[in-house]
Amino acid sequence: MGPNDLAAAAPEICLAAAGCLMVLLDAFAPSARRWLATLSLAAIALSIWFLLAAPHGLSFGGRYETSDLTAAAGLFAGATAAVAILVAKSYLQRTGEEKGEFYALLLWGHLGVSLMTRGLDLLVVFIGLETLSLSFYVLAAFFRTIHASSEAGLKYFLTGAFASAFTLYGIALLFGKAGSVRIAALARPDLGADPLVAFGLLLLLVGFGFKMSLAPFHAWAPDVYQGMPTPAVAYLSVAPKGASLIVLYRVLTAAFAAGMPDRFRTAIAVLAILSMSLGNVVALAQRDIKRLLAYSGIAHMGYVTIALAVFGRDALAAVIVYFFAYVVSNAGAFAAVAVLYRDETKPHPVGLLAGEGRRSPFASAVLALCLFSLAGIPATAGFIGKFFVFKSAIEGGLYALAIVGVLNSLVSIGYYLKVVYVLYMQDPVEEGAPPPLAPADRLVLGLCGAGILALGIFPAGVWNLARRAAASLPFGP
Amino acid sequence: MASLFESHLLTVLVFLPSAAAALLLLFPERRSREAKIFAIGASIVELALALPLWSRFDTSSGAFQFVERTSWIPALGISYTLGIDGISLLLILLTVVLTPVSLLFSLTHVEKSARAFSIAFLVLETGINGTLAALDLALFYVFWEVMLVPMYFIIGIWGGARRIYAAMKFFLFTMAGSLLMFLAILYLAVRHRAATGQWSFLLADLATLTYPSMAVQTVLFLAFALAFAIKVPVFPLHTWLPDAHTEAPTAGSIMLAGVLLKLGVYGYLRFALPLFPDAALRFAPWVGVLGVVGVVYGAFVAYAQKDMKRLVAYSSVSHLGLVVIGIGAFTSTALTGSVLQMINHGLSTGALFLLVGVLYERTHTREIADYGGIAGVVPVTTGLFLVATFSSIGLPGLNGFVGEFLILLGTWTSDHRWWAVAAATGVILSAIYMLSLVQRVFWNPITREENRRLPEIRASELVAAGTLIALMIWIGARPNDVLDRIRPSVEEVRRSVAAHKVVATSSRPSRALRLRRGQAPRGISPEGAGARP
Repeated sequence: MGPNDLAAAAPEICLAAAGCLMVLLDAFAPSARRWLATLSLAAIALSIWFLLAAPHGLSFGGRYETSDLTAAAGLFAGATAAVAILVAKSYLQRTGEEKGEFYALLLWGHLGVSLMTRGLDLLVVFIGLETLSLSFYVLAAFFRTIHASSEAGLKYFLTGAFASAFTLYGIALLFGKAGSVRIAALARPDLGADPLVAFGLLLLLVGFGFKMSLAPFHAWAPDVYQGMPTPAVAYLSVAPKGASLIVLYRVLTAAFAAGMPDRFRTAIAVLAILSMSLGNVVALAQRDIKRLLAYSGIAHMGYVTIALAVFGRDALAAVIVYFFAYVVSNAGAFAAVAVLYRDETKPHPVGLLAGEGRRSPFASAVLALCLFSLAGIPATAGFIGKFFVFKSAIEGGLYALAIVGVLNSLVSIGYYLKVVYVLYMQDPVEEGAPPPLAPADRLVLGLCGAGILALGIFPAGVWNLARRAAASLPFGP
Repeated sequence: MASLFESHLLTVLVFLPSAAAALLLLFPERRSREAKIFAIGASIVELALALPLWSRFDTSSGAFQFVERTSWIPALGISYTLGIDGISLLLILLTVVLTPVSLLFSLTHVEKSARAFSIAFLVLETGINGTLAALDLALFYVFWEVMLVPMYFIIGIWGGARRIYAAMKFFLFTMAGSLLMFLAILYLAVRHRAATGQWSFLLADLATLTYPSMAVQTVLFLAFALAFAIKVPVFPLHTWLPDAHTEAPTAGSIMLAGVLLKLGVYGYLRFALPLFPDAALRFAPWVGVLGVVGVVYGAFVAYAQKDMKRLVAYSSVSHLGLVVIGIGAFTSTALTGSVLQMINHGLSTGALFLLVGVLYERTHTREIADYGGIAGVVPVTTGLFLVATFSSIGLPGLNGFVGEFLILLGTWTSDHRWWAVAAATGVILSAIYMLSLVQRVFWNPITREENRRLPEIRASELVAAGTLIALMIWIGARPNDVLDRIRPSVEEVRRSVAAHKVVATSSRPSRALRLRRGQAPRGISPEGAGARP
C-alpha cells in the first residue's frame, strides 16, 4: 500500500473514523450529543473533499477506482447523506432518540455505498454492499420500542440476506469462469457469449435489483420504509440505488464490451416495465405517505433502468443526472415528510397532511415541489432526469420502453397530485399553529427546493458533469 | 437603450410576471388586498410593455420578429430562442389584456389566500407567454407543461363544488396528450442529430428534417396533434372542458377559455404543420370533419344547459370547432379568419364568463332558472352582456362577424363546401342558444323576489368588462389593423406546408403526394386558390 493508495482511500477512512468517533463521543461525552450532526456533516464534507482531491487513476493494484465517475457518485451519495443528517438532527430530538449510533450507522452505510461505487473488484463491491446493508438493518430497527420499526428491521434483514446470497453466488460463478474477481477480468472476449457468465450476471442483476427495489424484488421496500426512521429512509431510498446501478453498469460494460446481447436486454427491459407499471399502479392505492413514496421509488427505479437497457456512455450520463435529480426530489420529499409528521410513534397517513399547505406553508411548498419533480413536470429536476433517460431510450431505438415510461408518468401524476390536493385543498384536521421549523430543517428543505428548481432550469452544468463522469467509465465502447 | 429593450422585450414579457410573483412571496399573508393590487399593477405594467410589440411589429413580413437566442443546454443544442410572428403577437396581446382583466375582476371576489391566487395568475401568464414565444421545441414543451401547474391550483383551490375532480381531470387530460408529444420531440432531435451530426431542438432546424416513411411522419404528427387536440379541445376529447370551465373561479375560466384553448390551435399551426406537412395534409379532411362535429355538437349541448357557465363553456366547444374548420380548409382566407376568430373568441367568451361571474357573485347561483327579468334591475350589466353576446354570435359591426365571415368564405372556396354549410348552421345555432340565454336571464318575468334588489356592476368589474367590450368594437370597426398582422404569417404557415418531407419512395404514392402532383383540388393545394379578402 503506497501513499497513492492512502490518498485514494482517504474518503472512506475519514467516514469510518468519523463513525467510530460518533459512538465514542456518545458513550464518553454525552454532553457533546448536540454536536454530533454537525460533526457528521463535517465528516461527509471532508470525505467529499478527499474524493475530489484524490489523484485520478487506479489504486490498490487496480482494485479501486478514482475518476470523474466515482467523483460524481460520491457527490450525489454525499449530498443524500447530508440531507439525511440535517433532517435527523431535529427528528431525533423530537423522538427522544438522539444517539451517536444513528450518525455512526449512517456514516458507515455511506462508507459502504462509497466502496460500491469505487470497487473494481467484485469482492470490494460485495464488502461495500454488506457494510451498507448491515448498517441499515440496524437503522431500520432503530426505534426498538416501536413495533413497526422492529418488524422493518427483521424484514429488511431476511430479504437482504437472501439478496446478498444471490449476489455472492453470481460473483462465484463469474469467478469460476473468469478466474478472477476483478471486474476487468470479465472483459475477456471469449466470456461475452458464455451462458454461465450470463447466468452469473443475471444473479448480480437480481441481487442489486433487490437493493434498488426493482420489481419483482421490491416487496421489502414499503414495509421497511414505513418502519425505518424517516431520515434513514431519505438516504436508503436514493444513494444505495444509484450505487447499485453504477455497479451494474460497470460490470455489464466490462462483460459486454461488444454490446449487450438482446436476450439480456430483454431481461432488463422486463424488469424496467414491471417496476414502472407495478410501482405506479400500486402507489395509486396507498394511504400511507411512506408506502406511497416507496412504490413511487419502485417506479422510478423502473424509469432509470431503461437507461441500463439502452447501455452506453450517454445512457450512463442520463443515469447520473437522474440520480442528482432524485436526491433533491426524493430525499427532499422524505425530509419534508420527516418534518410534517410530528408524532413518530404513529403511522403516516396522507390524510394527516390535510390543510398543512396553510399551517406549514414552507414545508408543504417544498413537499409539493418535490412531488411535482417526481412527477416529472418541466422546470423541475425530475423532468431533466426523465428527459435524459427518455432521450437515451429514443436514441437507442427502444421506443416501446419510452412509450411505456411516459404512460407510466401519466399514471404517477394521479397519486402525486392526490398528496398535493390533501396539502392544499382540504381543511386542516389539527387545530392550532404547528411548532416552528428547526433551522436545520429550514435549511435542508430550502436547499432541496432550490436544488429542484436550479437543476430544472439550468441543467447544462449537471449534464456536462455527468457526461465527463460517464466518459471515465473504464470499460465499454 | 431602446434597441436593448427591444432585443430583450420578449424575455421581459415572459419573466416579468414571475418576477412580480416572486416579490409577492415577500408580502405578509394577511395583506391580501395589497397583494391583489400589486398583482394588478404588475399585469398592467406588463400590458404597457407589450404595446411596443404591436406598434413596432413589421406588418410586411411573415418572418419571426423580436428574435432572441441564447444557448441553454449547449451539449444538446437546446437553446432559449424566442420570437413571434403575427399569430403569436396577437395571442400574447390577448394574454396580457386578459390577465389584468381577470385580476381586476377578482379584486373584490377572491377572499381565500388572495396572495397565492395572484401568484398563480402571474406564473400562468409567464407560462402562456413563454409557450407563445418559444421557437425551440424543448423550451416550448417546458412552458407548455409549466402552464398546467398554476391552472391546477387555480381550479383546485378557488373553484366550485366539484373543483377537485375538475382540476384533476384537467391536469390528466392535458398531460396525457403532451407526454407523447414529448417523445416525438425527442425523436425529432435524435433524428436531426443522425442526419446532420448536430443536436438541435430549434423549430427552424427540425422543420428541415425528412422522414424515412409516411408512416413515421404520421405517427409523429398524431403524437403532436393529440396534444393539441386535447387542448383545443376537438370533439371526442372535449369532456374535460365543461368540468374545468364550470368549476374554475371566474378569473380562471376567463384565462382558460380566453387563451389556454387557443394554444392547441396555435401549436398545430406553429409546430405540427411545418414539421409534418404531408401528414397534416393527409389529415386535413379529418380535422375539418372534427371541427364540423364540434360546431354542431357543442351548439346543441350548449342549448340544453341549465347552468349559465356550462352553457358558455359548451359554446366554446362550438366556437373552437369553427376555428378548427378554418384550419382544416387551409385557404388563406379561412386561416386568417381562424386566427382572428381565436382573438375574438378570447374577448367575447372572456367577457361572457366575467359577466356570468358578476351575476354569480351576487346570487351564488348559476342556474338560468334562478334569474329572469333582471334587465330593469341591472341595466348596465345587461347592456354589457348583450354586446358580448352579439360579439359571440357574430353580429355585423362587432369583431365576431369578421372572423366568422372570413372562415365561412374561406371554407366555401376550398373543396369542402359542405363544411361551410355546417359551419353556417353553427353560427345560426349560436344565435339561438345565446339569445335564448339572454332572454331567460335578463328578460322574461322576474322569478325570484330577491332578484329585485340585485346590486349593479361595480366599478372595478365595469372597467374589466368595458376593456373587453371596447376591444370588440375596435376590431369590429377596424379589422384590417389586426388582419394586416395576421396575413403575412398565415402565408408563411401555408408556405411551410409546401415542402414535402418523405424521402423513401413507396410503390403507392401517398394522398399528400398525389395532391401535389397537380391533382390537387383547390383549397388544400399548397399554392392555394383561396381569395384574399
